[in-house]
Amino acid sequence: MLLTRKLNLTLAALSLSVASGLFAAAAQADTLRVGMSGGYFPFTFVERDELKGFEVDVLNAVGELSGDEIEFVTASFSGLAGMLESGRIDTIANQITITPEREAKYVFTAPYVYDGAQVVVRAGNDAIYGVEDLSGKSVAVNLGSNYEQLLREQPHADEIDIRTYESNIEQDVALGRVDAFVMDRVSATQVISERGLPLELAGQPFSTIENALPFRDDEAGREQRDRVDAALAELRENGTLREISEKWFNIDITQP
Amino acid sequence: MLNLEYMWELLPVLLRYLPLTIQMATIAMFFALILACLLAVVRVSQVPFLNGFALLFISFFRGTPLLVQLFLFYYGLPQLISALISMTGVTAAVLGLTLHFSAYMAESIRAAIVGIDRSQTEAALSIGMTQSQLMRRIILPQATRVATPTLMNYFIDMIKATSLAFTLGVTELMGATQKEAAGSFLYLEAFLLVALIYWVVVEVLSWGQRRLEIYLNRAYQR
Repeated sequence: MLLTRKLNLTLAALSLSVASGLFAAAAQADTLRVGMSGGYFPFTFVERDELKGFEVDVLNAVGELSGDEIEFVTASFSGLAGMLESGRIDTIANQITITPEREAKYVFTAPYVYDGAQVVVRAGNDAIYGVEDLSGKSVAVNLGSNYEQLLREQPHADEIDIRTYESNIEQDVALGRVDAFVMDRVSATQVISERGLPLELAGQPFSTIENALPFRDDEAGREQRDRVDAALAELRENGTLREISEKWFNIDITQP
Repeated sequence: MLNLEYMWELLPVLLRYLPLTIQMATIAMFFALILACLLAVVRVSQVPFLNGFALLFISFFRGTPLLVQLFLFYYGLPQLISALISMTGVTAAVLGLTLHFSAYMAESIRAAIVGIDRSQTEAALSIGMTQSQLMRRIILPQATRVATPTLMNYFIDMIKATSLAFTLGVTELMGATQKEAAGSFLYLEAFLLVALIYWVVVEVLSWGQRRLEIYLNRAYQR
């Protein structure tokens, strides 16, 4: 342990500014450590070293109401569940969908985003007009996301070639390397309208999804969940949630 | 075509994360070298009991992916030993790199040691040197020269392996690039830029390696 401490000291001394954000493990009662990938436009992303997005605004608003200090921790999406599990973060704000499996393990706040799973194809694709056309096609989904499972629940799931990606699924569909990707309708629309990639929505969303913040299912976790839930309810009440939603999406995605 | 202006603006942003990448690799390399030397000496001298441990250690850390080891240390072990929760992502990354690469480096150091001609050992023993004097004064200095190129190889590999630290929540060079690319959707520009940064760093190292090799070779110059 001495070795580790020395190492920490050395690192901290070498680079104070960088280090301050990293030695985040020590939790304080009034600090809410929020994990996110930082790589999911427009929910959480980085521009010129500044973390932004819908989730960032929502959580900051929650913190202002509840008095919690909000501390954002970014990590690869595949690492976030492990961080929550091992107590390094308190919740994940990355458009996390409520599923029965996750509900068995975590306690969720009330949903604050309502959305649908959407198939997206390269512009000009005339073979895929919805999830039913995906037989024999390759479809990209993000690792650890629940879209893979939604696809597997389809009656023709055996014929879909599902590819799991760590990141950059939009890019690979735009390049034509896979036939389609599945993402929530809201961020898919954003990707297409704001970023100029040659993509288009294929048909209607095929499954409704509700997003909420998961907390560890223990006493401290439930207490945090209750605090955040109360704040979210008030933000919904006073119109802040709608405002934040309209800022990023031009529509209110926080209502069912 | 390439958005050069974006790349130019992104450069100083990404360079802020370079020190952390270099630090993690350098500290890990330092401890990995020490550990690898110990392992190699244990293997070569066939120290009883310890030799078995070294074999098991090398087998495990060479036989499993670095990413798996990092996840085990950072996310798995704290569920068994709660004190480990205070381990930061940086510490876990450095620890993982150290153990993983020391296993490879131990084998390359061992190869360098057994590659030194037997006559060197016989000559040293004949003038009454002890085993440890033989190692320190005769074998290791020569083995260092032989092992340097491959060890530098591992160092270069290690610098690039630090990019896995983002899975532990450490925003290093690669993590910063991924997040910026997600914000701008200029993947080609962002990843091309980060590739160039890694490349330049490795080129500087390679220059250092050439200087080091000339220095270590000085006894063999005619």
